[in-house]
Amino acid sequence: MKMKTKSLKLMGLILFASAAIFQSCTKDFEQINTDPVAYGPTNFDPNFTFSTAQLTYTGSIDFAYETWRANLIYAGTMMQGLSSVVSYWAGDKYLNTPWYTSAYWERAYAEQVKPIVDVVEVTKTNPKYKNLHQVARIWKALVFARLTDLYGDIPYSEAGQGYYMKNLSTKYDKQQDIYMDMLKELEDAVSKLDAAADQVSGDVIYDGNLDKWKRFGNSLILRLAMRLTKVDEATAKAYATKVIGKTLQGNGENAFLKHDESGARVTQNRNSQVLLGDGGQEHYYVKWSDTFINALKSKNDPRINVAVSKLWMSDGVKEMNPNYVSDPAQQKGMPNGKDLGNNPAYRIGSHPSYTTMPDYSSPHPGMIKRNGITFILTYSESELLSAEASQRWGIGAAASTYYKNGIKSGITFLGQYDPALAITDAAAEAYANAHPLTEGLKQIGIQYWLHQNTALNFYESWANWRRTGFPELVPIVYSTSDTQGQIPRRFPYPVSEAANSNAEYYKAAGAAIPGGDNLTGRVWWDKQ
Amino acid sequence: MIKNDLLQVHSNRHLYFRFIIRMKLTLIMILLFLLNVKGNVYSQQKVTLDVQKTKLSRILKLIEDQSDYYFVFNPGIKNFSKEMSLSVENELVLDLLPKLFKKNGLAFSVSESGLVVVNQQKMQTVKGLVTDLEGHPLAGATIRLKGSSIAKATDLNGQFEMEATSGAVLVISYTGFTSKEIILGAETNLKIELVPDHMMLNEVVVTALGITREKRTLGYSVTQVNGESLTQARENNVANALVGKVAGLDVTSTAGGVGSATSVIIRGASSLSQTNQPLYVINGVPMENSPSGIINTNPNGNKGSQWDNAPDMGDAIGNINPDDIESISVLKGAAASALYGSRAKAGVILITTKSGKGSGIEFSSNFVLEQVMDRTDWQYVYGQGTNGEKPADGAAAAQVGGSSWGARLDGSSVPQFDGISRPYIAQKDNIENFYDNGHTWTNSLALNKSFEGGALRLSISDLRNKSIMPNSGLDRQSYSLTGTFEPINRLKIDARANYIIEDAKNRPMLSDGAGSANYNAVFLPTSVDIRDLKPWKTDAGQEIPYNKGNPWDTNPYFAAYEIVNNTDRSRLISSLSARYTLDNGLFIQGRAGQDYYTNSYFSVFPEGLAYSAPNNLVSQKMRFSDVNADMLIGKSFSLGEDFGLTPNIGASYRNTKSDITTNQGTRFLVPGVHTIVGLKNKSVAYAESEQEMQSVYGTMELAYKDYLYLTGSVRSDWFSTLAAPGLNNKLNVVYPSLSGSFVFSELLESNSISFGKLRAGYAVVGQATDPYQTALTYNFKSESLNGAPLGQISYDYIPNSSLKPSKASELEIGTDIRFFNDRLSLDLTWYKKRSEDEIIRVTIPTSVGYAQSVLNSGSIENKGVEALITGTPIKNDQFSWTSSLNMTFNDNKVISLADGLDEQLVATSRSGVGFLKNIPGMAMGQIVAFDYAYDDQGQIVKNADGTPKQGDLKAFGSAYNKWFAGWNNEFSYKNINLGFLIDGKFGGKLFSGTDYLGYIKGLHKATLENREELGNLAPKFYENTANNASHLFVNDASFIKFRQLTLGYSFPGKLFNDRIKALNVSFVGRNLFILMKKTDNIDPESSYNATFPGLELGGMPPARTFGLNLNVKF
Repeated sequence: MKMKTKSLKLMGLILFASAAIFQSCTKDFEQINTDPVAYGPTNFDPNFTFSTAQLTYTGSIDFAYETWRANLIYAGTMMQGLSSVVSYWAGDKYLNTPWYTSAYWERAYAEQVKPIVDVVEVTKTNPKYKNLHQVARIWKALVFARLTDLYGDIPYSEAGQGYYMKNLSTKYDKQQDIYMDMLKELEDAVSKLDAAADQVSGDVIYDGNLDKWKRFGNSLILRLAMRLTKVDEATAKAYATKVIGKTLQGNGENAFLKHDESGARVTQNRNSQVLLGDGGQEHYYVKWSDTFINALKSKNDPRINVAVSKLWMSDGVKEMNPNYVSDPAQQKGMPNGKDLGNNPAYRIGSHPSYTTMPDYSSPHPGMIKRNGITFILTYSESELLSAEASQRWGIGAAASTYYKNGIKSGITFLGQYDPALAITDAAAEAYANAHPLTEGLKQIGIQYWLHQNTALNFYESWANWRRTGFPELVPIVYSTSDTQGQIPRRFPYPVSEAANSNAEYYKAAGAAIPGGDNLTGRVWWDKQ
Repeated sequence: MIKNDLLQVHSNRHLYFRFIIRMKLTLIMILLFLLNVKGNVYSQQKVTLDVQKTKLSRILKLIEDQSDYYFVFNPGIKNFSKEMSLSVENELVLDLLPKLFKKNGLAFSVSESGLVVVNQQKMQTVKGLVTDLEGHPLAGATIRLKGSSIAKATDLNGQFEMEATSGAVLVISYTGFTSKEIILGAETNLKIELVPDHMMLNEVVVTALGITREKRTLGYSVTQVNGESLTQARENNVANALVGKVAGLDVTSTAGGVGSATSVIIRGASSLSQTNQPLYVINGVPMENSPSGIINTNPNGNKGSQWDNAPDMGDAIGNINPDDIESISVLKGAAASALYGSRAKAGVILITTKSGKGSGIEFSSNFVLEQVMDRTDWQYVYGQGTNGEKPADGAAAAQVGGSSWGARLDGSSVPQFDGISRPYIAQKDNIENFYDNGHTWTNSLALNKSFEGGALRLSISDLRNKSIMPNSGLDRQSYSLTGTFEPINRLKIDARANYIIEDAKNRPMLSDGAGSANYNAVFLPTSVDIRDLKPWKTDAGQEIPYNKGNPWDTNPYFAAYEIVNNTDRSRLISSLSARYTLDNGLFIQGRAGQDYYTNSYFSVFPEGLAYSAPNNLVSQKMRFSDVNADMLIGKSFSLGEDFGLTPNIGASYRNTKSDITTNQGTRFLVPGVHTIVGLKNKSVAYAESEQEMQSVYGTMELAYKDYLYLTGSVRSDWFSTLAAPGLNNKLNVVYPSLSGSFVFSELLESNSISFGKLRAGYAVVGQATDPYQTALTYNFKSESLNGAPLGQISYDYIPNSSLKPSKASELEIGTDIRFFNDRLSLDLTWYKKRSEDEIIRVTIPTSVGYAQSVLNSGSIENKGVEALITGTPIKNDQFSWTSSLNMTFNDNKVISLADGLDEQLVATSRSGVGFLKNIPGMAMGQIVAFDYAYDDQGQIVKNADGTPKQGDLKAFGSAYNKWFAGWNNEFSYKNINLGFLIDGKFGGKLFSGTDYLGYIKGLHKATLENREELGNLAPKFYENTANNASHLFVNDASFIKFRQLTLGYSFPGKLFNDRIKALNVSFVGRNLFILMKKTDNIDPESSYNATFPGLELGGMPPARTFGLNLNVKF
């Protein structure tokens, strides 16, 4: 018995001893649980994240996901900049394809909002990144503006804050509140840029040039302010008045991002990946719309050089024809609302304009280079908006001056894509002189549309058309169209929101949309 | 107790009622037994006595009067004059004798003629050798002194030595064999042969930490499966062979194709989003087995998410060679697995591999054919085309190449996608025509050598599989070397190494259409003959797509023959253990093991592919190492003959490390040459992971005589994964357990009940979590932008610095009863398990900025009943029939989720209109889809176009089955044996992406309705219907399958002059046919991911296998 108790005691002792040893062995657990191939918030430079945020605004790293669906399939065709007979190009026929209309929301929050909100948050109280913080605030407004323009009321104040707010859902803010906050944020951020403070090393647009950022901020204020002309003219005018004359100074200050071929889908130009046929036959079946080409041709617009025909000779081969045809006389756009079916009403082959598919004009190869550029905000745009502000309220210089600047720069900026697209200053001057501002807002609206189409920024074409009604597009007619013949005015909210923890916010927001949560409902600033 | 519980649960009453109906079947079986039990034999003589204070010698006389027994003793021994009182009725003399003599210090022996010699008891040293029928010594067999708590184990050579009195009864038991009782006579050098246990009562089983224990002592349910039953009709993934064999186990193979993972869920899913897969422990060494899933970081594996379009990368258990498995022990409940603490929540499966047994050679060869089974039931009225029209020309046909919205099939000549006109007729055999006949050939050779002080076993196995998927297959070589030694007395060394090389060729893409042969074969339009899709590429190497309008629909032949998805895995599972027993019985055991593998993945999406792959080439290398070491000290104490006490204490250490390097890029510089260096654009990604766990534990086993057992244990785990930089988090948690067993049959004088026990256990176990979830970190993308580095937040989940360990507590109560000399047995368990504070990654709205949030979330409850009824209705010299029925009912309920979370979204169907959710108050894994909208009168509300208006999202039931049953039968007649297994699962739901796309593409039979009236609006009508009323695709996944058939013949050894010891040839078949299913176009078992059930699309179609199996022993 004695022996037994001894053994028991011994075992008990070992148990306690090992427990004590273990407690002390766990000291290095903190180190073990630190990812060896990552960085902490204290030693990571947020400029690196800012570069990513700038890149992702040009489109998703995941195969141009929302650029393809939102910018090209929907906005591009609805605005009759592009035209396609590919069956899934839903915007061309005003079809509701929920998994395409949700694309922008899905990718933008994950890829644009997440990094930019993080940069704003981590730089908020760190004097080392004073300018980065302000530039990031400007960029954040840019990001949210496009989101809310597409959907209306959206998560804004709680969006991208998962780490900082520990929130599991995000309330939807009113578009009106979002716009007021963005304008306030932009004004404040621009005012706080400080030449004596840090160099924004992660800036891949202006390489940290704060003067350009100031004017970019003002131009963005102008864009957002003018968006409100239908719904809140007073605010629109007030902000326009503040920034007019302080916007971008020339094409040299155009904000664009230069892409990089080496990073494949991650870094290549988004529009180019799609239009080169990476994911299908877009190269062969996506053409300039006849509405757009006719608008150029009717006025002998030198920008017809964005169109070339016989660029792609086969739907199966993705090799460009080096002997493409750039003769302006031979350019023709493809009508919208056509398909490859048998019904002569819709069959492209039955349309009088049809000869062969390659005869329809494609975007110039210089615009769709893999390492090409994505325009974010241009001098031409600012000048056209200034022209409108001057026309409406008589602020700043004469509307005709802004208008002429806008047209000229909107012609010459094409050289930034590629030298092959360059148009001489003289030619631009000649065109501008031949087409002075005589029809006011309508003319400005058409020029804005032409310019954004050539910048392949169809998001902006769509937003400005919804606001101004220019150009006066004739809707297509198609048998299975989901909009009763109307051109869509917004994207429905993603169906997936019904299934996640935003479900209640989603329902309430959807119910509040004039016209309903569908393609023909209207966002706040798009007042009927 | 069980009954009371049944009555209390009102809401589930109808389910229990069904259970009761099923139990009726078992009653019929019991009746069969009663008819077959034979009458008395000589040794079955019984007596009836009722005496008060009567001398023993007188009692013996009374027995002589009532029976043919005759007692010989020396009346001079005073023990015979002891007076005693006794009252027995119809008791077996043989049972009565030990009671009479043992207490009185007397020993006895019984001769065959009924002569009983009684002597004064004296202690003697008994030696013995325990062997199987072939004379191989059995190491580790248990020898227990009946009626006491004293037990010994045989050494490596099957030898044992113990002190006992003559007349004492020894019970010898060994895992996989039927126990044997021996009454000690004068003979003190025993030779005991054990007979294999065909009824799988498994009286000795392997329990936690690899300790073998008699099942009678356990307060929880353990089911052991013998290795032999896994190799009769083989599955390439050995886990699949467990289907229908173990109560409480939900085994589901995935539709993942060659080398794919298998889901094994024990007693219901107990984790909201972490793995529900059990811990596999091989010879005491835990093996990591997370299949690719939602939480798996492998960037190229199928995670089962909405946008996933990737192959199944398999799991670890699938690497194990079934020929090497001696036995599998399933520790179902927390009480059984408590000693594994934080790794035990989903149950534990212990695998013991074979060790050297005797000397000889075993050879087995197995060849099976695999044949695809087409489960679709598409419409064959209308053909390829759109708007109800035949395509006018090749270009039009190609543009809507995937659409079956054409005209009525009329046999006319119609242009197809390639411009060639063919008869417009139904093509019903596309599935059969596309898939090949697959086959698997497995050859195994094992060499056994025993020598003084040890034994060796070397086995080599070669598996060659050609999948039904063209150009796909799996090769696996396994080498296993096992040595057991006793170099010095009482030191036992066990060393094992298992080396596996597994090459999978072209793991098929699952889910979406891009690059997937499965998807494109199943959705091919009704009038297109799949064979016309050959050739699949032009001379220049360009894919010839059948659906140019959507190039993501890859030509299935191009997908099969041109896209490469290969994996190569080398895995070494090694262990070394040493155990030394001191003179006083104290033992010290140390063990170390490592599971090490390298995995390389190579994929090529060639330049001719119509859609452009994200990366033309991916070359990924992964290294994984899991080191486990533990030690255990213990000793058995006897407090007199009646009480036994066995304390054990131990400690363990685990370190898991992995790293993964991914090289990938786009654009081949030289067409047709597919190497990583031959790419224009390249990028590299690298990730590391490490975690450590330290544990201490102790157990205390208490035995009273041989019928009452109590075991308590406690374990504490310390986790590195809970540590947060700069925070002093609590890193450990304590897991206690208590269980007891009462063998009531020892106190019962019953003829019909040969064994009976009640058991109960309660334990707390847990689940660990993944590293790097406690702090926000940043890193860089592999790519840079014109030299500018691209920084990002490293992970897609919101970290949580205050995680606490999760816990799950489980109570189980059960019984084990055997009747009529073990001809019928019943094993019944009721359990209730509640998981709390689980560490999960909750899917959150994308607008939060992250895809998931790491939380301690919620509580889940599983309660259920599992029953195993085994019987031998017929048994005579020539013929026997053994039948066993296992049944499980599991009721799962999500009790709560984290604060601020009303529902948890787990996964989204590719369709975007079907979801898998966890909703408090309902069973886990609810299939959620859009219901119709109803007006006040309850009528379905329609849109202007006549399609149903989209109603609310509604939960349509859990993806997890509630009921499982397996019915195994073995018949043997002389040397012929026949076996079959029928199994079924009931109550689970499945959202069918196949049915959804059947609507979109015009293949589904339901799209025939009004098709002509709708005209060219039909496609839009059915697309809107599918999107608005997605509940139409919620299928009942219940099924009954005829799972396995074996028919074998054993040639007697004497046919070969005993040169060959045994030769067995059998015909085997698996998954032969379906007896019941409720799905229209899919197999009810076609979930595409092993981490959760419920979603389906583009998986491999099921295949039936049949072939021949040969086993030879030299």
